[in-house]
Amino acid sequence: MNSHCKGEMPIDTENDIVMARKYVREAAVALGFGVTDVTRIVTATSELTRNIYVYAGSGIIRWHPINGNAAGLELVFEDHGPGIADVSLALKPGYTTSKGLGMGLPGSKRLMDEMEVLSEIGKGTIIRIRKWLKR
Amino acid sequence: MANGNISVIKIRDILLVTVPSDPDDCTVSELQEQVLSSMERHSAKGLILDISTVETIDSFFARTVSETVKMVALMGGLTVLSGMRACVAITTTQLGLSLDKTLTALDVDRAMELLSDTLNRSEGRK
Repeated sequence: MNSHCKGEMPIDTENDIVMARKYVREAAVALGFGVTDVTRIVTATSELTRNIYVYAGSGIIRWHPINGNAAGLELVFEDHGPGIADVSLALKPGYTTSKGLGMGLPGSKRLMDEMEVLSEIGKGTIIRIRKWLKR
Repeated sequence: MANGNISVIKIRDILLVTVPSDPDDCTVSELQEQVLSSMERHSAKGLILDISTVETIDSFFARTVSETVKMVALMGGLTVLSGMRACVAITTTQLGLSLDKTLTALDVDRAMELLSDTLNRSEGRK
């Protein structure tokens, strides 16, 4: 397995969003995802790392391949920010607490195969997304 | 850094702006300002935003582009977004971003054609 496929980096600055996109693109390409799925994964990464930067100030992104019966890529976005008060509301298209479009969370969910959001007010947020390789 | 140079080329009444392939938020915002000041400086009537090298369009990028189209329209200009890649078109639509009212073209060539036709037609009406 290619070493690019697993990694992590802190998200502290706006430029880290660009770097995260770059590394995740490399990982997705190395795992054998097609160009459209790579674009979907990188776009979701861009949305979720920007959420970390905008709402929590800093956090971390980790990514690793999923092996076993089905192969794919899992990405974890973790921060110790304010947390999301109502996760199901935040997953509704058009809902936003900033001046964004409110597309980040619901849009990322649509782009990926799976998404889990764990959040606690005052403690932070962990978001897991997965994309399966189509064989 | 990933900051590519923003190239602004004037062809007759039209500005051709090439968007760098993986711009950070700063570069995207800068692009907007640069485009608007160039429209003013060159008294341009049309703008082509060439995104043929762009690999990722997220909500921030899309919002800035659709804002820029509106701002250019307020200055009497017409914008054509050109060269969106297939994978970007698929992703942008599934993400739920709307660039509905934006004129688009497959490449710069067709964007030039569309702009000159539209501009000529509106000149003819005067």
